[in-house]
Amino acid sequence: MSGLMLLPVFLPILAGSGILVSSVTAKQKKAPDLTEEARNKLHLFSAAVLVVSAVLAIVLAWSGDLSLTLFYLMKDIPVFFHIDGIGRVFVTVISVVWTAICIYSFVYMKHEGGECRFFGLYLVVYGVLVALTFSGNLVTMYLFYELMTLTSMPLVLHNGSREAIMAALKYLFYSMCGAYLGLFGIFFLYRYCSSLTFTPGGTLDPVLASGHEGILLIAIFAMLLGFGVKAGMLPLHAWLPTAHPVAPSPASAALSGIIVKCGVLAIIRSVYYIVGPDFIRGTWVQTTWMVLALMTVFLGSMLAFREPVLKKRLAYSTVSQISYILFGLSALSQTAMTGALLHVVFHAFIKSTLFLVAGIVIFQTGRTKVEELRGLGKEMPKTLWCYTFASLALIGIPPASGFVSKWYLAQGALEAEIGIFSWLGPVVLLVSALLTAGYLFPVTMHGFFPGKSGAQNVWKKQEPPYRMLLPVAFLALMAVLLGVFPNPLIQYFGQIAASVL
Amino acid sequence: MNAAIFAVVILLPILAGALIPLLPFRNRTWMMVYTEAVVLLTSGLVFLTLLNRPEEAFVLFRFTGNLSISFRLDGLGTVFAGLVSVLWPLASLYAFEYMKHEGHEKIFFMFYTITYGVTLGIALSEDIVTMYCFYEMLTLVTLPLIMHTLTREAVLASRTYLYYSLGGAAFAFIGMIFILSYGSTSNFVPGGVLSAAVLGDKRSWVPLIFLLCFWGFSVKAALFPFSSWLPQAGVAPTPVTALLHAVAVVKAGAFTTMRITYYSFGTEFLKGTWAQYVLMAVIVFTIVYGCSRALKETHLKRRLAWSTVSNLSYILFGVILMTPLGLVGALSHMIFHAVIKICSFFCAGAVIYKTGRNYVHELNGFGRRMPVVFGIFTISSLALMGVPGLCGFISKWNLVRAAVASENPLAYAGVAALLISALLTAIYMLSISVRAFFPGRNFDMSTIQDVEDPNWMMLLPLVLFVILMFYFGLHSGPVVGALESITAVL
Amino acid sequence: MAFVQNLPFISIILSLFAGPLSSILSGKKAKWINLAVITIIGCMSAAVLGFVLQSGKPYVYMMGHFPAPWGNEIRVGLLEASMALFFCVVMFLCMLGGSRERSLEVEEPKENLYYVMVNLLLSSLLALIYTNDLFTAYVFVEINTISACGLIMIRQNGRTIEAATRYMIMSLLGSGLFLLGICFLYDVTGHLLMSNIKEQVTLLSESGTYHIPLLVSLGLMSIGLAIKSALYPFHAWLPDAYGYSTLSSAAILSSLVSKGYIFLLVKIFYRVIGFDVVRDSKVINVLFVFGIIGMIIGSIDAIKESNIRRMIAYSSIAQIGYIYMGFGLGTTAGVIASVFHIVSHAATKALLFVAASGLTDASGDSTDFFDLTGAGYRNKLAGVAFTVGSLSMVGFPMFAGFISKLLFAQAGVESSHKMLMTLVALAISTVLNAVYFMKTVIRIYTPEWKAGIEKKNFTKVTAMQQPAKSVALVCFILLNLVLGLGSEPIIRLFENGLKMFA
Repeated sequence: MSGLMLLPVFLPILAGSGILVSSVTAKQKKAPDLTEEARNKLHLFSAAVLVVSAVLAIVLAWSGDLSLTLFYLMKDIPVFFHIDGIGRVFVTVISVVWTAICIYSFVYMKHEGGECRFFGLYLVVYGVLVALTFSGNLVTMYLFYELMTLTSMPLVLHNGSREAIMAALKYLFYSMCGAYLGLFGIFFLYRYCSSLTFTPGGTLDPVLASGHEGILLIAIFAMLLGFGVKAGMLPLHAWLPTAHPVAPSPASAALSGIIVKCGVLAIIRSVYYIVGPDFIRGTWVQTTWMVLALMTVFLGSMLAFREPVLKKRLAYSTVSQISYILFGLSALSQTAMTGALLHVVFHAFIKSTLFLVAGIVIFQTGRTKVEELRGLGKEMPKTLWCYTFASLALIGIPPASGFVSKWYLAQGALEAEIGIFSWLGPVVLLVSALLTAGYLFPVTMHGFFPGKSGAQNVWKKQEPPYRMLLPVAFLALMAVLLGVFPNPLIQYFGQIAASVL
Repeated sequence: MNAAIFAVVILLPILAGALIPLLPFRNRTWMMVYTEAVVLLTSGLVFLTLLNRPEEAFVLFRFTGNLSISFRLDGLGTVFAGLVSVLWPLASLYAFEYMKHEGHEKIFFMFYTITYGVTLGIALSEDIVTMYCFYEMLTLVTLPLIMHTLTREAVLASRTYLYYSLGGAAFAFIGMIFILSYGSTSNFVPGGVLSAAVLGDKRSWVPLIFLLCFWGFSVKAALFPFSSWLPQAGVAPTPVTALLHAVAVVKAGAFTTMRITYYSFGTEFLKGTWAQYVLMAVIVFTIVYGCSRALKETHLKRRLAWSTVSNLSYILFGVILMTPLGLVGALSHMIFHAVIKICSFFCAGAVIYKTGRNYVHELNGFGRRMPVVFGIFTISSLALMGVPGLCGFISKWNLVRAAVASENPLAYAGVAALLISALLTAIYMLSISVRAFFPGRNFDMSTIQDVEDPNWMMLLPLVLFVILMFYFGLHSGPVVGALESITAVL
Repeated sequence: MAFVQNLPFISIILSLFAGPLSSILSGKKAKWINLAVITIIGCMSAAVLGFVLQSGKPYVYMMGHFPAPWGNEIRVGLLEASMALFFCVVMFLCMLGGSRERSLEVEEPKENLYYVMVNLLLSSLLALIYTNDLFTAYVFVEINTISACGLIMIRQNGRTIEAATRYMIMSLLGSGLFLLGICFLYDVTGHLLMSNIKEQVTLLSESGTYHIPLLVSLGLMSIGLAIKSALYPFHAWLPDAYGYSTLSSAAILSSLVSKGYIFLLVKIFYRVIGFDVVRDSKVINVLFVFGIIGMIIGSIDAIKESNIRRMIAYSSIAQIGYIYMGFGLGTTAGVIASVFHIVSHAATKALLFVAASGLTDASGDSTDFFDLTGAGYRNKLAGVAFTVGSLSMVGFPMFAGFISKLLFAQAGVESSHKMLMTLVALAISTVLNAVYFMKTVIRIYTPEWKAGIEKKNFTKVTAMQQPAKSVALVCFILLNLVLGLGSEPIIRLFENGLKMFA
């Protein structure tokens, strides 16, 4: 049974590599662009692989705590897979969103070209992500974390413009920088922990560590900063608003919805499963972490508010929203962590919806700026409704999902013994929510109510094809519905939080 | 097995190499066959020797009194000799193809083969005098290889190389004399040959002498501020740069520092002295310095050479930690970096050979036309950065494990330096790959219509190196275990 | 008394008389006679060496069987005999190597005069080596000076005359100081025979009387000989004298003449003053310091020099510095190192001079550094020889220089407060040597067509075209290898020889 865990990892990786290799050889033979028939085959193949893997991954994840030692990378460090609560949550979210985005991109990628490369990489990244969530120890996680960076990088530079290449390099180098900061921490944890296997509550050996608290805290802080790069935390967030907008919209959706969450996953894993929250509670590390998270929340919103380009605005919004999660984690309290996990799930759905909508707009009209979206509601009302629902959820207007997570985050902050931050945190969250409303609503407002200036225009309907619209609608629906029926989630996350705290 | 085999494996390539310009080869192929046969024979003998290791020493020749040229094989020597003898035949294979366009092949292969023998001499040295002699000889026999093209640039480079190497040897000489005078023996003994009783009040001199000696020997390992010879020497034909300046010569420098630190001076007298700290600080600096110079460099081979500078200091960092764990890290990086760097140099060489382009900015789109070469180049870049699953990660891990275990703040700084260097490595290596594979939308592929992958003689070594990188990366247990057993005697 | 014991005296007399004899012969005949004399004396020295080795102790040969203190004595030990043999070998090779240059540079009618000088020089060198009498030593020092001047001047151009004049002035100053030192000693001890002086000096130093005069006398003699052997800062005469004189003169002057004085100094240290007294004096510290400065300054000057002959000459200053540094260490090991360096430097420096001339032959007789570009390809043997010489100078293992460097360093390590200075000076000096010698080696192996130097009157020179020089070069290379690889017996010989001095 546990051997099956390899299937959702390696099936997409192998299938994706196959597509990539065939595309390279085809290019050598100077074959012309994809024919319609070949394109259909490609789509069918990718979809089949992805669906099979996703279903398998979810089924496996919910069929108990499986573990599998693949082989020994070093003498005492195996490549070790293990499914636990956190992994289960992440793999489910990832699989669902990834599949939805994949279906969307079948249509979308037609206008971007290079579909073989895109879908090949898309599958590979999925395999890597599943492996990342399945990872049972820190080194395995680090291995797939690096692979995730490397394989997702070509998604960013997909269109091959100079701007995209520079953005991809920026993404790569920031991520590498983060990964190495994380590695710095891993090195020290390896020395002072009894094992690097993820254990709720941490494995830090108090006897070994005594006398070395100073360097350990520095190491842990380095890890937070490092993995925080992927999560777009200050001060290393700058790659995110550069890379997300230039990538093709499905890729931005995947990056913003899923890949940044992997930074969060890495932080959860190292703080709650290796170091143990008790070690950093009340230290300068926790304080600094909270300060950084709150600053990012506020700054991200502010920047998003000022940003005229829609996708960039959404990217800044991601910066801000992920730090909601990080703030929740930094409070080191059960409620706050529950809130954080909720926000992980909700934000994944919400942000991919928003990016996909932005993609639809680009696909259909080529417009990128918020200014140009006036009257969008007349042209593609269904799309805009999806956008609106997702926005509501992100702002946190009940009963949409964002409200629930923010509620728990705020409550957690108030409960936790974190001094001034227990009230400062909620205040910042609130202000940021207002700003969120400020940067998301204008699109809806002007979209449905273009005002007089554009009255002469005859709005022609240009709703996207259903294969594009359906996944978006599905994701938007999820974003709302999860907020309406949040109880199973809250309960489950509460258990996870209780197990580690 | 008789210990005389040591002399055979060392003298065989030296003598057979010296014969190359004298022998009347009918054509180029015969010379290639002869050279490869000599190299393979030597490697075969080396393997044979490594497998049935003779315990006793072999004295080739005595200078005066206790000074002799003598050979013995111990664990450390096994590692170096094994490494060299695996890589040499592969590199020669590559060189046969590459040297077609360089000319003067007879002279080239003469010195190339002689260098093999001399390098083995360093690996098999029983005592510090023998090692010193072969170290000096290595300078001399590799000089013509750097000068090979005889251009002004090459001459200047060889001059720098010579000055630095001889100068380094002059300071290493100091340490050698000290060991000769105050050591219980000049042989290499795990744990060192100095004793407090013999040293008496000279004990306070040990750190200073060690510092000079270490710095002297590590000139070949391009320790700051004596690192600029290595990038300059990049003017040599690529097989030389790859094999000598990524493996034989520079690793010989690192190897000699291991010998003097662990086997002559002994860590007992050095640990915690100012000499250790000064050297460690310099090494840590070099790690970052090499990388930042690589970042600035636009010439492909020189960029790789600067990267070697940095990576050699990884090895030295392991050495200067002065713990058995540190030596394990150093040795593993010695092996793994050799494989990685020779591979990336060969890729660079393939580019130069096929297209004559030397600069990074000329490589746009090459990945499309030379997918195998650039694919392998990318993999070796990843290995160099230390991506898990490839061998670079293992050695980095071992080094850092030792550094963290040493609980020395400067070593912590070293850990940070290693990671900074890894980041810089990512930048300067991957930017090449990205450029090669993703030249940009408006790039006109017809301008590089002539570019294509080289033939099997060049590709075969590359593929083998990639396999090695993955093998060591995924299955490092046996190798690291062997290294640990070697250092266990310390 | 065995007949062999007469041979040292005979060899001195033989060369002394061969000199005047040459003056009435034609150049060609004089040349042959000279070579024959050197060969014969070499054979005789070898026989003497064999005899002393066999008997295992030194002997004193009284001329005319007058006992001391009236008679004049010759004292033969291992060191003396081996030095005599070695000097003959080197001189023979130098004469051989420089024969072509002599025929070109020395005017026909004066050629025989050259051999007069060479013969006189040889006899004076032998006398310096063998004599047991301080005043005899002085006399031959003067003969040596004058014949050396002749050797410089024989190639007549403005430079050499100036150089010879300078050499003369400096040398006479040195001789004067040396003589003054002898006077002091004579005054204090009342003896001129070395063994007798030493007895007295030992007594004096034990009683502590005449401390200052002894010190002054030692100082004067050391400085006098230091001037004559071009220890820094008395080296100004050297580059011109070596740089512009004819090849065999330069080779002989650098490898033998200066070494003769140094050997005399060793004798004075051991046989006249007693090494313990020398060690306790401040004089050796002065020698040590100036030796080290010389090592560095000489090399720096050499680096700046673009004339290859002068460069090699400057290198001599550095090498003389090594020797004095060895004395300065004040240990027997140091002196042995110095004595070995006398030998190894003599062999190497002569090799370098001859090889350099081989290279200049192939470069249109230009000694300019740039004209030597690619000379190693044009004259292969000379190129190889120059490389060997350079490597030896840099202290490359297998060659003579390595062993002397090793001995110096080992001697240095034993000394407590001079250890670091010695070792660092050796290292720095090695680096500096490497800079100028290896620069030249690389230069001669850089093809001129690549370096962009237009062809002047470059000619190819094969080994067959200059047989004498080729033979000399090959022999020098072999000599160097023998010293580098088979140093063990030689060092033991020197050790035993030094023991016999006491």
